[in-house]
Amino acid sequence: MNHFFKKIRLINPEDKVDSIVNLWVKDGLIKHCSIDEADIDNETELIEGSELVAAPGFVDMHVHLREPGFEQKETIETGCEAAANGGFTEICCMPNTEPAIDNASVIEFIKSKAKNRLTTVHIAAAITQAREGKQLAPIKELNEYGAIYFTDDGDCIKDSTTMKLALDYTSIDKILLAQHCEDHSLTHNFAMNESRVSFQLGLKGYPTVAEEIILSRDIMLAEYCGNHRYHACHLSTKGSIDNMRIAKKRGQKLSCEVAPHHFSLTEEKLIAYDTNYKMNPPLRSKEDLEAIIEGIKDGTVDCIASDHAPHTLHEKDVEFEKAPNGIIGLESSVGIALTYLYNAGHVGLERIIELMSTKPRQILNLPKIRIDKDEKANLTIFHPSEDWVLEKSSIRSKSKNTPFIGSKLKGKPKYAINNNLIYKSIL
Amino acid sequence: MENTERISLNNLLQSSDLLESDIYAIFKRAKYFLDNYKTIKKFKDLEGISAALAFFEPSTRTKLSFELACKRLSADTFSFQSSGSSLSKGESLIDTLRTIEAMGVNVYIVRHQCSGVPIFLQQNTKGIVINAGDGKHDHPTQALLDSFTLYQYYGKLNNIRVCIVGDIIHSRVARANLSVLQKLGVEVAISGPGTLIPNKNQADYKVIDKIEDAIDWADAIILLRLQRERMESGFLPTLREYSQYMGLSYSLFSKKPGLIVLHPGPVNYGIELDYNVSAFPNVLIQSQVKHGLFIRMSLLSLLVQNYREPGG
Repeated sequence: MNHFFKKIRLINPEDKVDSIVNLWVKDGLIKHCSIDEADIDNETELIEGSELVAAPGFVDMHVHLREPGFEQKETIETGCEAAANGGFTEICCMPNTEPAIDNASVIEFIKSKAKNRLTTVHIAAAITQAREGKQLAPIKELNEYGAIYFTDDGDCIKDSTTMKLALDYTSIDKILLAQHCEDHSLTHNFAMNESRVSFQLGLKGYPTVAEEIILSRDIMLAEYCGNHRYHACHLSTKGSIDNMRIAKKRGQKLSCEVAPHHFSLTEEKLIAYDTNYKMNPPLRSKEDLEAIIEGIKDGTVDCIASDHAPHTLHEKDVEFEKAPNGIIGLESSVGIALTYLYNAGHVGLERIIELMSTKPRQILNLPKIRIDKDEKANLTIFHPSEDWVLEKSSIRSKSKNTPFIGSKLKGKPKYAINNNLIYKSIL
Repeated sequence: MENTERISLNNLLQSSDLLESDIYAIFKRAKYFLDNYKTIKKFKDLEGISAALAFFEPSTRTKLSFELACKRLSADTFSFQSSGSSLSKGESLIDTLRTIEAMGVNVYIVRHQCSGVPIFLQQNTKGIVINAGDGKHDHPTQALLDSFTLYQYYGKLNNIRVCIVGDIIHSRVARANLSVLQKLGVEVAISGPGTLIPNKNQADYKVIDKIEDAIDWADAIILLRLQRERMESGFLPTLREYSQYMGLSYSLFSKKPGLIVLHPGPVNYGIELDYNVSAFPNVLIQSQVKHGLFIRMSLLSLLVQNYREPGG
């Protein structure tokens, strides 16, 4: 089925485009894209676009698809559908699978499962074998097989020598390394941020410095190893944002992402011990949240990534301290960004599109999306201000572990278009 | 005699839920039980009520105290032990609760090593949940009996100075007392080695560095039990150093013989408290144990009253 979006607002920050167009997507290509009328055929569905925005397809570069190994939480199939439902046409899956993504056969397995889907699945592979932080994984080979960046995400490479070796080893190929910044020796058995709230609740805290120590170390190592590219995953503290800002000003080739829950929720939410508020990094203070929003506004933060982390209900419905970390995010990410950043008046729509599409593409060296006649259609269509409530029944992810169920949001994904397929969001 | 006092709660999940008026209502009924237990052997307040003592962590005095309180009030009680139960076979906590609930239990008295468990269980049951100690979070009946002991001694609580001494950071007793005592207008301070008291990111209590100064400042001190595993995890260099710098020795005590001393028990004699001090009449450890029974009877009676007459 083909689609014609009548009088839709097209925004593509990379081409400095922001205009009203009639947009016809036919057979996976853009058949027509201008303010002129088009003579559409009867195999094309007409969609009134006057309240909608069309943007280059959104990318979520930090998604736990769980397959292979944890198919009870998510599969590549359900994760891809959740991505499309949430407005993402491309995602990048994380290597903490079982087995870990540290050899070519796992990459081939994922690629075969991800074939012929609307959502393009990119792969982040492990820096070290079995993500143990010791021996380097065959990074060059994995890169050749298609892994677009490398991280031991979920675990941090704690040994400085190993991190230095990884930076040195990848310096010639300019391969992107990313880190989940956490000094595990300071966070053993943590359940939340270390703060007044953690003291009051009697929960073991994860001090903000545990993130900042590793970020600082890595920034120094990246500079020392020849100004190596380096990406920091899901930064959560004011100190991290400040540090990143200063290092970027110095001219270091750094990038970073933040997760939607870190600019919309604070640790105060934990007072009822609801395990849907338990994640890593944990929810922080109001001061940290404000610093993240400031970093988003001034460009210190490069992109938004959901850190989509599915867990089954029975794993989460336990004592708070025993519950696994993480919440799903693919289907709430766009709504949260539009609610807490755009509709809250912090940033404009072109910045939202930068944060969720053009910037992550640049970080991952993905080809630029052109939205013009005869180009391949890779688009996210959203409503920037529609009021809606996230319902459990509309979530396509296999898991439902999110505190945003029942939340009122403003701004909503509508269609994902990619690989000659279109998905109408049921959110 | 008719007891007219009521409390605002249907469960006791954490100390911060207690209003000042709730605390005094609990004291009042506790006093009634204290005054009458010798003449009335068995009270009928919990007749027809089944109370489960769900102790997922070892306990002696709290469990005995609750059990006896239930029995004095004519409840049927049964005990649940986590060792040897299906929990050790991997059954989830929530399924254990459902199993107990299916047997028609009305009151759950819960002790658990994880913070927040009573709140979690209450969200999943219609029965009354009472927190008998959860992780490092709270131990409300301990704070109630401690403040009742001070109240019985002084006849009032405002403007009294209490210093809690020891391992504050790992202590649910400390948190519970900080909450309840402050609500009652008691001036509180904490004292302990730097690794065992909250830092400025975590809390903003008055901190007294030296135990000598704490004794000087306070009308009463609450000594906390020092867990030996704190040494193994590196919080303290040696036990000897702790007792030397943070323990209440006889020579310190003799400088202020009027000092009131509380301890939630069990005491490590020679570490936080000199054995020679324990025999003095203003060391109220035995009163605490005794009052614990009447506080728990009072709490059970008041909660069951709300359960039987909702909104009454």
